[in-house]
Amino acid sequence: MEEIEGYTVVPLRMSSDALHCHSVYMREHFIRLMDPNKPKGRTLFLLNIPPYVTEESLKGFFKRAGNVESVQFAAKPGKDETIKWYEGTNEPFSNVRPPFIFKVAYVVFQKSSSIGKALAVPSIDLFHSSGESTIKTGMELWHEESPNIWPTTTEESERAALAAKNSEADADGWVTVGKEGRNAGFEQKESVIGRLEKKRENDTKTKELKNFYTFQIRESKMQNIVEMRKKFEGG
Amino acid sequence: MGKIKKIQRKGPPATKRPPKAARTESTDSALGLDAHSDLEKPATSSDDGFEEPTPKPKPSKKTTTLPEPVSIIAQKKNKFRTDDAKNVKPPTLEEMKELRDTRNLFHSNLFKLQVKEMLEELQLKTKYTEYIDNWMESFTVFTQRLKDGLVEKSQLEVPLNVDKKISGFIFSKPTKEPQLIGAASTGTLLGPKIVVDVALEMPKDCLHKDDYLNLIYDQKRALYLTYVTNQMRSDPAYSQDKFAFNYHGNNPLKPVLELTPAAKHVSKHLQLRLFITAPQSTFKPGRFVPWNNNIRPTYYNDEWDEEEALPSTQHYNASVLFDLTLAQNQALLDKAFKGRRNFQDGLLLLKVWLRQRELDRGFTGFGSHILASFIVYLNQQRILHQSSSSYQVARTVWNQLANTDWTNGITLAPASGQTEQLSTIAGYYDVCFMDVSGQLNLCANVPLGVYQRVRAEAKLAVDLLNDMKLNSFPYIFMQKCPLYTRVDNILKITNYSSIQQMLVLHSKPQMKYDFASYGYPQLLQILTELLQKGLKQRVQAILPIETVSSAWPVESKAPIIGQAIQLGLILDPEHAYEVLDKGPSSNDDPEGSAEFRKFWGEKSNLRRFQDGSITEAVVWGTTKDAPSKKRLIVRQIVMHLLEHHLQLDSKDIQYIAAELDLVYQLSPWFKVSKVKTKLELQQDTDAEALSPNVIRCYDDLARQLHALDDLPLEIVSISSISPVSRYCEPMPVLPQARMMADHIHASHIQRVIIQLGQSGKWPNELSALRALKTAFLIEIGEKLKAQCRLNWSITSEGLLVLKRGFCFLLELAHNKELALLKQEVTERGVTKYVDNPESRALEQRHYILPKVSGALHSLHQSHSAYGPTVLIAKRWLATQLLDDGIWPPMATELLVAHLYQQRNAPQAIAAPQTGFMRLLHLLAHSDWNGELFLLNFNSSWQEQQIGDLEHSFRSDRQSYPPLALATSYDQQHAGRLWTTGESPSLRILSHVSRLARHALEMIETSLQSKDLRFVRPAQLFRGSSEGYDLVIQLKSDLVPNALSYDLGSPFVSFDQPNYLLPRAGKDPLAAIVHQLRSAYSDYAAFFYNPHGGKELAIMWRPPAVFAPKAFKVTELQACTLCDKGKVQVVRETLVEDFKVLLKDFYLRISTPEELKREQREHQNPKRYFNAKPQDNESCSKSKKRKLAKAAKVQAPLKRKSLIKSRPLKSLS
Repeated sequence: MEEIEGYTVVPLRMSSDALHCHSVYMREHFIRLMDPNKPKGRTLFLLNIPPYVTEESLKGFFKRAGNVESVQFAAKPGKDETIKWYEGTNEPFSNVRPPFIFKVAYVVFQKSSSIGKALAVPSIDLFHSSGESTIKTGMELWHEESPNIWPTTTEESERAALAAKNSEADADGWVTVGKEGRNAGFEQKESVIGRLEKKRENDTKTKELKNFYTFQIRESKMQNIVEMRKKFEGG
Repeated sequence: MGKIKKIQRKGPPATKRPPKAARTESTDSALGLDAHSDLEKPATSSDDGFEEPTPKPKPSKKTTTLPEPVSIIAQKKNKFRTDDAKNVKPPTLEEMKELRDTRNLFHSNLFKLQVKEMLEELQLKTKYTEYIDNWMESFTVFTQRLKDGLVEKSQLEVPLNVDKKISGFIFSKPTKEPQLIGAASTGTLLGPKIVVDVALEMPKDCLHKDDYLNLIYDQKRALYLTYVTNQMRSDPAYSQDKFAFNYHGNNPLKPVLELTPAAKHVSKHLQLRLFITAPQSTFKPGRFVPWNNNIRPTYYNDEWDEEEALPSTQHYNASVLFDLTLAQNQALLDKAFKGRRNFQDGLLLLKVWLRQRELDRGFTGFGSHILASFIVYLNQQRILHQSSSSYQVARTVWNQLANTDWTNGITLAPASGQTEQLSTIAGYYDVCFMDVSGQLNLCANVPLGVYQRVRAEAKLAVDLLNDMKLNSFPYIFMQKCPLYTRVDNILKITNYSSIQQMLVLHSKPQMKYDFASYGYPQLLQILTELLQKGLKQRVQAILPIETVSSAWPVESKAPIIGQAIQLGLILDPEHAYEVLDKGPSSNDDPEGSAEFRKFWGEKSNLRRFQDGSITEAVVWGTTKDAPSKKRLIVRQIVMHLLEHHLQLDSKDIQYIAAELDLVYQLSPWFKVSKVKTKLELQQDTDAEALSPNVIRCYDDLARQLHALDDLPLEIVSISSISPVSRYCEPMPVLPQARMMADHIHASHIQRVIIQLGQSGKWPNELSALRALKTAFLIEIGEKLKAQCRLNWSITSEGLLVLKRGFCFLLELAHNKELALLKQEVTERGVTKYVDNPESRALEQRHYILPKVSGALHSLHQSHSAYGPTVLIAKRWLATQLLDDGIWPPMATELLVAHLYQQRNAPQAIAAPQTGFMRLLHLLAHSDWNGELFLLNFNSSWQEQQIGDLEHSFRSDRQSYPPLALATSYDQQHAGRLWTTGESPSLRILSHVSRLARHALEMIETSLQSKDLRFVRPAQLFRGSSEGYDLVIQLKSDLVPNALSYDLGSPFVSFDQPNYLLPRAGKDPLAAIVHQLRSAYSDYAAFFYNPHGGKELAIMWRPPAVFAPKAFKVTELQACTLCDKGKVQVVRETLVEDFKVLLKDFYLRISTPEELKREQREHQNPKRYFNAKPQDNESCSKSKKRKLAKAAKVQAPLKRKSLIKSRPLKSLS
């Protein structure tokens, strides 16, 4: 078993006779500010996961070390990286997919004893005993993807989505007050606020004489020169 | 023009800004901004910032002369300093003047700076001027040492081909000193090859008064040259130099000595040419007037009727006069140019302009000495003022060129000097510009076509200068526009016997005497007259394309030139493709009718037309013919005329037109008869001819959609955004989409964007909105099925609809979706709308692309060559293994549109092939870093906006992608919408430039060569196999072939093609390559031909990427552990990854060399990666079989193809 800077290095094999394999670097996940989704003592941290590896395939493999609660990916180690990774992918009717790049993985086991077992595996084998890979690539992948990508029927999810909007009082008895209703207030948009601020500015501004005093005329001429310089020399 | 390098935009030199100087009363009055300055008027000699004709007091001087108000300024200065110390500095008089003039003369300072910088770069280095001066000195001494004597047979050949040679020429030493002439004398030498012309005058003693007759003068001139050359060669001062003879201006009567000095520091760029002239008083003044004959018919042993007047030899006379009047003309030019930097610079600008257009070449060229004389002429006429700036000189010359007509003659000679009637002289020539002596026509050899071309170019230059929305500098000076890219078709006759046949049988004897039996101008005249008469308004101009004769060593015999001719035809797209030539009515004009019949021969038939008239007419095709066929009508006519009138066989002629149009034709492998459709399809159809079918079908669909009943919301607009709708789809789209087992299969999908009427009831949440959109699409689909009986299916992208064998993908566009995508909530709870890549893509697809599509469609309507040009360009890029992922297809379309929209040539392009060559030029020579390609459709952008954009582009170049494109519809994203930093990346962009340069080289060589045919499409449209590290060969039966004409892959030879229909909108190969790029682009680049390419070429990134490096958690991607605690990326591992991702698709992996070797040896191809010797054959085979089995289960639709694949492979 090779080790480097506290990481256990194991090859990731796609078939039983694979010669050139990627190295996966693993260790127990430990940082000061723990993420509740990656509980201390039960989470295995893996570096350098090839892009085509899926959550299911890792979950399937690490079952041998104990029951796996979840597998999460991220582009790099860090606090909110996992959230960023999955951003937009869980929404219905969205075509967003997680990026297809080398990534890191967090395997959360149900028992902390599984970590040691997991760190002792000689290699991560992502193929069945029959030799077939547990990851779908190539022709399989592109033929499987069916045009109906949404799980529920369209109408149902539509209804669900619409229902989410017209929310009544929630469990604690709070009602979300939106822009509907009698006293909705103005919309908190940048453009609206900007317009209001501009209006106020205009109101406060007194009417002033612009081309009256000699110094004003001189200054406007000056301004003219500045503009000409900017146009013909600046840039 | 290697010399004119990219002109970097520089700020104004620091010295220009004068020190804080007095702000006097006069500055205030100067601020009055009386902005009137007529550019054409010479009287307002305003300074535009160029070198002043008169020295100007230096600003520093100025401050010293006005010392008084200093105390006042001191206060004021402080006041201004508080504002903005940099910009609000009191202006000086000079600065005010300069600023104001800049504003009046130029739209922007940029043009001025660019011109100034170019002129600076064109200035001759002192080492050359010094060398020339020294050389002249020593040469003068040399000529004085020459001795008189009889010229014996020297070892040098006399550089002249004449029938009857004279003997006993007695050399007498020159009495006058040799002189610099031409550019060297006027101080307007232009690089990169600096040619210094020196004239040596033969003394009168050498010539007799009868020598004017029958080329004796020319022979003596040549003998004199030979003698001087001989003497120079034996002189130690010159013996090291390289001697060669050449013809001046492709004129075989004007041999000159070309001397390349041996001196190291100049020999690369400097060349000296020695002309021999004769004093003007040698012959009687009236001897060489145009109507005199100076070559007798008897000289050529021809009979001539004694009674008849001898034929005039005006062109020959002009050739002699050129020598005789040279000294006088040069004196005039010297007087005008010496010491006037402004005139010299003006001429330099004009010379650059002319040379970029290649109009000054060869016998018929519009030489720059004509321009120099014209400047003098304008000065004489008081149109150009002595103190006009160089810019004004150039501008006035263009303006006057465009607006005057020289066919009636203009003259430099003073009223007393012009003895003969100008109009009489003009009658003998096409174009007439008399010199100062009033005898020589400077434009004697310039044919009307070339002159008209120069005028058109000059007019364009003025228009470009006047166009406020454009920085015209690159178009006028920087862009190289060789003639062949400006003509639509090229006629090339190089066959020796055909040329002789034309000269002997069809040239009039008078022409032979006139040109002293020089073949070229005779051929030119014969062909131009014939073609002009036959093509009439189909052709706008017929231009000679000359190649400059090459020098020959002095020991060898002078070559005979003019034995080949190349003509360029500029077509008038409005008339060129008419299928009918109608003659005069046979009843009203029987004579004209007979003549018409005689002219056209058997092609002409008596026809009765619908309006009842009966006339002779020639029919070249039917109106229903495909556009590509119609484009060949002119070729048909030319071929017929040449055969009928000049008895030239089509195999002796090369007519270069539409050779490259082949690439978008339907592949001959695909049999059209197999497509079930009601449309009439031809086997030899092409993508261009098929597009209207799709567009018609789309129109029908749009009508049906509009007519749908009971939709909850009305359909407001429907627009198509597919390339087909703007004639830019290079693959022939055939109506073969169909429903198979609940799935629609189609080779292409046509994207259609639908907008619905307004409603306030759309949800405020993205997924809900998308859900509702999908529901809407399903509703539309169901209604289409019920009301119009069209099949549909829903996908994640939109609604697929099948109609008449075409497949459409309908998408709903909604404003709210865009807003929701952009929406961001700040910490203060304020909603903000910010662009992000996703929203930008959506906006482009749903809102901008429909508009641009419409604009491009209308561009195609006005320029019918636009579409086909794009087709050729897209095919070319595809065959160079550049797919959509690395070169966005819209970039191609917009660049071609840019070519058609920008008026960088006086005539619009009529032939797609020419359009493609111009695109190659654009790709090869563009300064990507400095240029933003703006397509101002409908001129909807204002000057101010354009100015702002260009300003931001220049000052903030980094934030724009390497190739910046903007249209008038994408203002807020200008320059960033169509291209990104990755597609095309800087690397790809320079790669494309290189490819384009290579392609142009091939085209140019084939055009210039006498023997080569025009470049074959297969030479251009097959990528190179060099430079790639690995090639992954894909299974040929899994990748459908392109429907367009395939010219083969760079790696393997032809294989059995397949035309499987993929599932609509699915392109697995493209998807996999996209994956590969997103994961592995740091380590390798991937290339494939998106038009049915069956190989994936891979290029590794530089070795540094694969070097061992220290362990770092954040930089571990794809790294394997190696020695000493270091990690590294291993190529073999990556190859394994590629194999995993390309599972089922890849046949084997090898290097291109291996592949080539195998192809050559026709070996049994090895199945798997060769670099893996352990790979045991039986194992892989069994694995393969298993895979095939798996694929069969997974994809029942592919079963047929997979079974087919086995016998196929056993064949190979």
